[in-house]
Amino acid sequence: MSAPTRLAALSLVARQEIALAVRSRWTAIFAGVFALLAVGVAASGYVLSGGSGFEDFARTSVSLVQLVVLVVPLAALVMGVLAVAPERGTAELLFSQPIGRGVVLLGQLAGLFVALSAAELIGFGAAGLVVFLNAGEEGAGAYFLLVLGAVLLTAVFLAIAALVGAGAVGRKRTRALALALVVWFAATVLVDVAALGVATLLRSTAASRLLVASVVVNPASAIRVGSLLAVQGTAAFGAASLALLRLTGGPVGAALLLCASVLAWIVLPIAAAVYRLRRIDL
Amino acid sequence: MIRFDAFGKRYGRQRAVSRVDLAVTRGEVVALLGPNGSGKSTCLKAAAGLVRPSDGRVEIGEPLRSAALPEARRGVSFLPQKVAFPEALTGREVVEFYRRLRGAARGRTEAALGLAALEGAADRPVGTYSGGMVQRLGLAVVALADAPILLLDEPTSSLDRAGLAAAHALADRGRSEGRAVLFSTHQLADVERLADRVAVLVDGALVGNLDRAELAERLARRGVLRLRVARAPAALPAELERLAPGAELHGEEIVVIGPAAVRAAALEAVRASGAELRGLSSEEGRLDLLYDELVGAAGRSGTEVRA
Repeated sequence: MSAPTRLAALSLVARQEIALAVRSRWTAIFAGVFALLAVGVAASGYVLSGGSGFEDFARTSVSLVQLVVLVVPLAALVMGVLAVAPERGTAELLFSQPIGRGVVLLGQLAGLFVALSAAELIGFGAAGLVVFLNAGEEGAGAYFLLVLGAVLLTAVFLAIAALVGAGAVGRKRTRALALALVVWFAATVLVDVAALGVATLLRSTAASRLLVASVVVNPASAIRVGSLLAVQGTAAFGAASLALLRLTGGPVGAALLLCASVLAWIVLPIAAAVYRLRRIDL
Repeated sequence: MIRFDAFGKRYGRQRAVSRVDLAVTRGEVVALLGPNGSGKSTCLKAAAGLVRPSDGRVEIGEPLRSAALPEARRGVSFLPQKVAFPEALTGREVVEFYRRLRGAARGRTEAALGLAALEGAADRPVGTYSGGMVQRLGLAVVALADAPILLLDEPTSSLDRAGLAAAHALADRGRSEGRAVLFSTHQLADVERLADRVAVLVDGALVGNLDRAELAERLARRGVLRLRVARAPAALPAELERLAPGAELHGEEIVVIGPAAVRAAALEAVRASGAELRGLSSEEGRLDLLYDELVGAAGRSGTEVRA
């Protein structure tokens, strides 16, 4: 039997990562949280307006966007860092094998991406079934686009986790986890709040540019705006999103710019992580 | 097979290893000895491609190639000092994963688990293993590939008798099958049992590099003969000093340190003198004392100690 090809080695590492994720209670908790969130939002959507009954898919999707943008990056960052930066003895044994460090990293990310995406699909799928049985199929497309946004968020934040974790392989794992939490807080809360705060101090044009930059540069905001655009058009947009539409000339230009941002946030951190990992002494 | 050529390693401003020249050939088992922090693990990791040299080169295989190349590592099996595995996987899944990663034949999984005496625990999650069992699982992974180069970082620490037997069998098999084996240890019994050559590192520098014959010769030179005598004639101390310079007389006890021939001559002189011999013990030089001597001398002089 000969040594496996790079692709076969990547596939082996990915499958092991999937097996580990399947046995991790955190993956099950992650899927359960999504199911409960989706069902909870759908079931309580009319409560504030004094009504009762389940919201349809479209309204549920809009309500869920903010929660998805908070929860998915957190799960991807934490599980990504833990996978990419294993214990020293595990890392030393794995990286002494006759496969490149980049192959190991890509395999880990691919496996974790599949596992987390599957957890999201199971969680949202179970909730979707409950919504379908109670409110019908109207707006199911929007719900599907929301799930797609969650999957994209997973890919982006796993890539960022790779960059954070690559510097901590075999050491400083706790520090890497702490850094991951800082990244999560910055991406989901701090950047938006800071951009809005600074924008109030600027003139209109400069403020618009700053708000647009905050959306394009921050992957969480990019996917949130992209999801809202896909789910409900521009109706649910805030100041930054409207500024983005003005600057790009409409929804198509905005969507392209957001896609480019998301793609860059997947490719560049992984490339930087591979570069970093190759230069680390274990 | 394994060659360190003026290998040096710095971590920031901290120098871990300085200009180490060492070669391990086919069928040779070499022990790396040295105090904690002397650079043993750094040397092993450099040969496993985990650490990049700051100076010099570390090459492995035939023909020799940089240890950093994944292709070169195809011929290497490395056991880290504190090997660890994902706790959710079973022992068999771990071994099977590495078997497939190394492209080893299917039957190797069972053979490797058998060598590590883990057949009975192979289907339990690694999280339920003791420290010694995890170490044995590491040995099973190392045994999988039949790699021509074995690098073992303190392979016998925390092992029970079954684990020790597995580690010794791995090294013995490596020698008999013509592999190059480099292992670090603090267990001098492992050195006596396994090593064809001993390399001693102190503060990152190689201070001793002795093959089995040199080691035996240096140990023999440090043999100790103790005699208990009565009614020793007055001329005996002078005769002993002539035959065995440095022989010590403390009342009825005579202590002679030196090679076997010197000790035999001293014994003969005592007998010939007419003194009454009341007791006798003789032992070869002890490896731990030789090791202490090498480490101590290196610490005092900061230079290499040679036979």
